[in-house]
Amino acid sequence: MLIKLAGGTVYDPAHQVDGKVMDIYVRDGRIIARAHDGERIDREYDLRGKVVMAGAIDMHTHIGGGKVNIARMMMPEDHRGDPVAHSAFCRAGCGHAVPSTLTTGYRYAEMGYTAGFEPALLPTNARQAHLEMGDTPIIDKGGYAMLGSDDFFLRMLTAKQDQNAINDYVAWTLHASQAIGIKVVNPGGISAFKFNQRALDLDEQNVHYQVTPREILKALSRAVYELGVPHPLHVHGNNLGVPGNVETSLKTMGAVEGFPVHLTHIQFHSYGTEGDRKFSSGAAAIAEALNKHKNVSADVGQILFGQTVTASGDSMRQHANAVFGSPRKSVIMDIECDAGCGVVPFKYKDQNFVNALQWAIGLEIFLLADDPWRIFLTTDHPNGAPFTSYPHLIRLLMDKSFRNDMFAKLNLDAQAMSTLSSIDREYNLYEIAIMTRAGAARLVGLHDRGHLGVGAGADITVYTNNADREKMFAKPDYVFKDGELVVKDGQVVKVTWGHTHTVKPEFDRGIEKEIKKYFDTYHTMNMEHFKISSEEIAEGGRGGVVVHECKGRREKTA
Amino acid sequence: MSALTFTLKIQPRQRVDLSPLTPDNLAGKPAAEIAAIELYSGKQKLRADTVFDIAGDDASNIVIANSCNKLDFIGHGMKTGRISIHGNAGSYLGLQMRNGEIVLHGDADAFAASGLSGGLIHIHGNVGDFLAAAIAGDKQGMKGGTVIVTGNAGERVGDQMRRGLLLVEGNVGSYCASRMLAGTIGVFGAVGEYAGYGMRHGTLLLTQTPALHATIQDCGLHTLPFLSLMFKSFSNLPTKFAKINKNRVQRYAGDLANDGKGEILVLQ
Repeated sequence: MLIKLAGGTVYDPAHQVDGKVMDIYVRDGRIIARAHDGERIDREYDLRGKVVMAGAIDMHTHIGGGKVNIARMMMPEDHRGDPVAHSAFCRAGCGHAVPSTLTTGYRYAEMGYTAGFEPALLPTNARQAHLEMGDTPIIDKGGYAMLGSDDFFLRMLTAKQDQNAINDYVAWTLHASQAIGIKVVNPGGISAFKFNQRALDLDEQNVHYQVTPREILKALSRAVYELGVPHPLHVHGNNLGVPGNVETSLKTMGAVEGFPVHLTHIQFHSYGTEGDRKFSSGAAAIAEALNKHKNVSADVGQILFGQTVTASGDSMRQHANAVFGSPRKSVIMDIECDAGCGVVPFKYKDQNFVNALQWAIGLEIFLLADDPWRIFLTTDHPNGAPFTSYPHLIRLLMDKSFRNDMFAKLNLDAQAMSTLSSIDREYNLYEIAIMTRAGAARLVGLHDRGHLGVGAGADITVYTNNADREKMFAKPDYVFKDGELVVKDGQVVKVTWGHTHTVKPEFDRGIEKEIKKYFDTYHTMNMEHFKISSEEIAEGGRGGVVVHECKGRREKTA
Repeated sequence: MSALTFTLKIQPRQRVDLSPLTPDNLAGKPAAEIAAIELYSGKQKLRADTVFDIAGDDASNIVIANSCNKLDFIGHGMKTGRISIHGNAGSYLGLQMRNGEIVLHGDADAFAASGLSGGLIHIHGNVGDFLAAAIAGDKQGMKGGTVIVTGNAGERVGDQMRRGLLLVEGNVGSYCASRMLAGTIGVFGAVGEYAGYGMRHGTLLLTQTPALHATIQDCGLHTLPFLSLMFKSFSNLPTKFAKINKNRVQRYAGDLANDGKGEILVLQ
């Protein structure tokens, strides 16, 4: 099968292609340089005047795992309120903030997204997460395994085990849970919560294990780097949502001592304590630090107004936030002593001072951070807003007058506390393509996605250029997934099943002896059952496991 | 202007969600637009004019004729106007209704008046289980307004009811007023087992002494003058409760296993 995409205006930042008119050839799901002489072209699409980009990649979206299901169960009104009828290609579904798995896949594809990564895959819950993602059609997926508050790892730190043992455990976890990266949530804090600590700052000790978040971050970021895992340690810092946490975030950037690190939903970690209400924007300081620390990347976790639900592994902070729940209900739970989970429904209101300022802080970070290769477009779905609001967010970034109109409608006290209206920057299509495609693929470590070079998987999105960027990005003309046309005019026309992306770094299998002993003594299941095999994910014919390369053990760079 | 009339012309194979057909939602819409409204039915959508013959033009006065018990969510969230239904209604009649009036000449299924916060639902017939109860995921059932049922009601009448007036002129099933939070339920006929199970607050007014479970306690005979005022306030309601003129009651308190501030009053 040979497809020619003729005459589109291509944005492919991975190859420095910025709005060049060119043809793209796809043979059997892969992009090729050109057809052989005389080779018959099976299908040609005339894309003159259209914008062509790689399929977008959401590098942080909660689409699988226990907490998403808890959110679904806890918010039947969310499902009742947004039913989706069955169509010729798609099955019925429902849900606005936490859509059903099938609807999640269709909606992502219909927006031109071809991959999404679940950032809080608890190793002990990994099977559930993979099953849910296995039920999410069209898009590729993967997960970041959550470590840092689990008993085994904290015992290792308490015992001052050497870095090699920690690396082995981290690698074993990546294998066992079929993940592509490692995430740490409120380092040590989820565990500290269970020992009655209600806050944990970077240099404060977990009372039980006598370790600090700083030590956890250091050990994990180093392990991820030394194993050669492409995705840097994914950090959800301490003190999420606490006014004044900008200091913690700035210290966190330094705590990893030069190892690569990704600070996720940084908006929730950029709050100062100035002003009458002791809540202010720390965006300028965060953006400045981001610009300075080249080893640090971040995604924003923008909030947008409306009803959603916050689902997080950070049971400590979610416990504190439960009183703000709307509707007032929540689930805060421990999971197998290895992690936590907190689900709190939330309604962001533009006339609420704090919410309005959160909105402005997120946008300030987007606009003040210089390097689009190190800042990523997310709403931390569903925590800041459902992923379906991305086109709206893109318009806010690309259209200053629209942004200022929206800003002018906010709570007046919040307006007075923000510098947003004085920022002139507008993102261009090239920068959007970096943030949502090339940069995201590089950050996650997907060598054959997020670009349109020869050999890449043919995940391609075609838009009609429109000055209203929200309209443009909400409804692509065509979306190709691995060379197959899956969406036409914003509607799914074919349902395919994406791959599960993973990494499998080398490690010393000797660590299994220790882990097995631990499982036999404490765990609720056998170690062999805990591990998820690639065959298990592939069975049922819904996409297999793709293993991305880890470039061996590396020396620390200066 | 004549009432906007939807006459059911098919036997629906699946349940049909009539949420869009409320006076608020149809106000000012031309006939062609109303005909093209899509109604969820199972996993599909049906055009309104394939389900109903549509006549009339006064959207503030909607009539559903030849109705059957597969028509769910009639009057969902309505804020004004009136809906009259001839025939039976399905489940979730008047779900989360804010104001206005629904008159049903027939029977209703489960969860009628769930989440009702204002207005009047008058049912000339029987209703299924969970009348005025909270649907799964909601923390409160009926939150205001008035419901009058001339026939019988099923189990769990007023489960987690929060406020408002619920009058059943016939009999009700088990677990009446279970987990009730506040409000008033009156039952003219008999009530089943476990009345007031888990009741926290509120009043259950009965005419016959039911079999009560252990954590409902007898507090003796009382003369309560407020009852005369309450029955008087019913005088403009089309119900036989308005004709009662008594204020001597046997009072029971409960459920003591759950705060125990609710009361069951049995007219003597």
